[in-house]
Amino acid sequence: MTGRSGKEEKAYRPLKMQDFLQQVLFRHVLEGNAASEQGRLAWVTSGFPVEIPVAMGITPTYPEQYGAVVGSQKVGPTICGFAEELGYSQELCSYARSSIGSTSKPEESPLNGLPEPQALLACNNICGTVLRWHDAISQMIGAPVFLLDTPPVEGEQQPHHLTYVRTGIERLIEFLSKTFSVSLEEERLREVAANSSKAISLWTKSLEACKNKPSPLNCADRFTTMAPVVTMRGTEHIIEFYQALYDEVQERVSQGIGAIRDERIRLLWDNIPPWFSIFKFFNGLAKGGVVFPADTYTHAWSGSIEGEDLFKSAATIYSNVYLNKGLQAKVDKMVKLIKEYDLDGFVMFSVRSCKRYSLGQLVSKELVTEETGVPGVVIEGDMVDSRLFNDAQIQTRIDALLEMFE
Amino acid sequence: MSHGVVVEDSRQVPMEPSTSQETILGYVYPHTPLELILAHGITPSLVRESPNAHGGFEASLQTFSCSLTRNLFSQRAGGGLSSLSGLLFPSNTCDSLHNVEDIWRHRFPEDQIFRLTYPAARFDEDSVRFLSEELRIFSESLKNTFGRPLSKDGFLSAASLVNNFRSAAQTLYSCRILDPSLVPYSEVARMVREFLTTPNVNAVRQINESASATSQVLDERGQLGTAKSLQEGLLAGTLGDIEIAAESNTPRVMVVGGMVEPQAIASLFKGSGKSGDDVVVLDLLSFGFKTVFTPQVNLKDDPFVATARSILGIPSEPTQEGLPGRLEFLKRLLSRLLIHGLVVCEQSFCDPDQFEAPSLVKAASEVCVPSIRLPIDPELSDRARLEGRIQSFLETLD
Repeated sequence: MTGRSGKEEKAYRPLKMQDFLQQVLFRHVLEGNAASEQGRLAWVTSGFPVEIPVAMGITPTYPEQYGAVVGSQKVGPTICGFAEELGYSQELCSYARSSIGSTSKPEESPLNGLPEPQALLACNNICGTVLRWHDAISQMIGAPVFLLDTPPVEGEQQPHHLTYVRTGIERLIEFLSKTFSVSLEEERLREVAANSSKAISLWTKSLEACKNKPSPLNCADRFTTMAPVVTMRGTEHIIEFYQALYDEVQERVSQGIGAIRDERIRLLWDNIPPWFSIFKFFNGLAKGGVVFPADTYTHAWSGSIEGEDLFKSAATIYSNVYLNKGLQAKVDKMVKLIKEYDLDGFVMFSVRSCKRYSLGQLVSKELVTEETGVPGVVIEGDMVDSRLFNDAQIQTRIDALLEMFE
Repeated sequence: MSHGVVVEDSRQVPMEPSTSQETILGYVYPHTPLELILAHGITPSLVRESPNAHGGFEASLQTFSCSLTRNLFSQRAGGGLSSLSGLLFPSNTCDSLHNVEDIWRHRFPEDQIFRLTYPAARFDEDSVRFLSEELRIFSESLKNTFGRPLSKDGFLSAASLVNNFRSAAQTLYSCRILDPSLVPYSEVARMVREFLTTPNVNAVRQINESASATSQVLDERGQLGTAKSLQEGLLAGTLGDIEIAAESNTPRVMVVGGMVEPQAIASLFKGSGKSGDDVVVLDLLSFGFKTVFTPQVNLKDDPFVATARSILGIPSEPTQEGLPGRLEFLKRLLSRLLIHGLVVCEQSFCDPDQFEAPSLVKAASEVCVPSIRLPIDPELSDRARLEGRIQSFLETLD
């Protein structure tokens, strides 16, 4: 396709608000550095009830997001290699290895590594690895680890389960109060929770706008713009960011503009993306008219902390996240997305780093196809460590799926 | 495959042949409430990794699922485990085992699958309350599935049986620390394994006889008091004021790791040098030390609370919080039990093992104890190389 300038137009339309995203992320880096110097920085896992530390004046930063940075800068093998030099197996999570490696050699790592925290907060609702990962970091830098234990939920959350997690939240507050000499005011927690809810609501509306045809966002758009809702939930300034995103999405929808030029095949993406190849991978497929209007990963941030008992509300929301539920719940979610977003098929990225997300995909692929009638494919690789990603093999599998739509 | 064959495959002879009426519940996680299962009139039986299980998992599990789960799945896919009436999986211990339970339910819908969720945090009473309730729910599901309600008398009898086993096994472990040649490590591992596979009076009698004989030898040497103090110190996780001072002619080695089969370790040591498995003074393995040194169940307490307290009183696992405490305990053992070398075992794609291994090696080096890491899989596919590595390591300790 050729535009008015005569220059060939790309298959993919970049978002206008990419600059805004860079500003927000840059601000996050600056705030993290300042908080570290002031002794009020905590490393936090992506599924942590971050509203609580934020309401207590503690700045969170996210090693998982740092792993994504390492991946996208294509230095995964090098940084993971630093962890391997310390004896951590290449079979372990590459987010964890990036984190351990960059802590070991910050001067040789992107952004000089993450700023040093005063506490390490882990919530195992996304995987069991986070505890061991934070323990390893704690051994290196001496910051204490707090585990918010949220055992996996099977069906409806049982009362004793909810009580246990709620008690864990009370202990978290005790831990933060003691470690940082701060306290929690309920009013402030309500403010932060409200900020979080507003941002999540705008984010969810942007995601749901992808039900339109053509889809206003592709996978790479969502994976990059989700960063603030993961890392800065509860702050005011990201509400402005998500309002801007939603406005641009609405504009695209109203004008019938899609994320890609020629949308012909709509697919679901399951799992974390290959960060080192995110644009190449999705934009490459866009050339063939393939768009991903939905995925299971960016839809994971939802729910509002509200009501009379905020701790109970937080315990409920953070126990019931996507990865903390069983295989059937994951299948149900994928089926729902495929139906609601009118998708033609699905791609499951089997991420060697992430057992919680990936083990079960071979079965759920069959179940999803059985329930929806649409085909899917499982491709294997890693999100950060490009040594575990075989381009040619993956392309062959994707091609085989796409042939089914011809 | 019949239960007898399962047991035979485990290179064990069942002390009491199973009858056709017997309900056998397989389990894979070491800290399973044996007392509670027995109190339902059900026999818990540890499902062992089979060296003969090859393939069969590929359509359901990726290769990066841990070697234990792949092996179990292959056994089942190959038609094994058919003597089991059900299978119990742990949850909230590691991601592989948790997910495999779900996959198993879908792949083998005719199997009776149970789940028991363990707390990863060690919050004392909150964790006890959580696990007690999980045990109550598990007990209800056993009753509903097999029509066998929990018997209180049965619980008392089962708890006594398990307590007796632990007491005898602890004696053996403690005596061996003073003199590993008293009873081979392989023999202790075999007896422990036998009880976990078929927990009955004969298995307890056997280990009791061995413990009595060993205690008698130490008594004659005037060392029984020290062994008893060791047992108490190990149970308390402090070691008390015990310190082994006597020099040894053979290297004294400790083995650490997670759900690695102690009998497999014993077999590797036997194949690796002239001292055989006598060099293994102590293990800190899940199916070894950590099972044996589980605190006794309090018979006066509510069964669910008592069992929960006992399970949560175990020396902590890499799947739980508490790494600093585990490392301190390790250093104390290494430096005060005259340990010359540490063998760190790790199963392939086992997150808990592989994350903890570098910290264990570092802890050993801090107390000047050399160590090696031993990547191991259930099939012992690399046996010759593993034996060679152990042999070379032992030679450096001579």
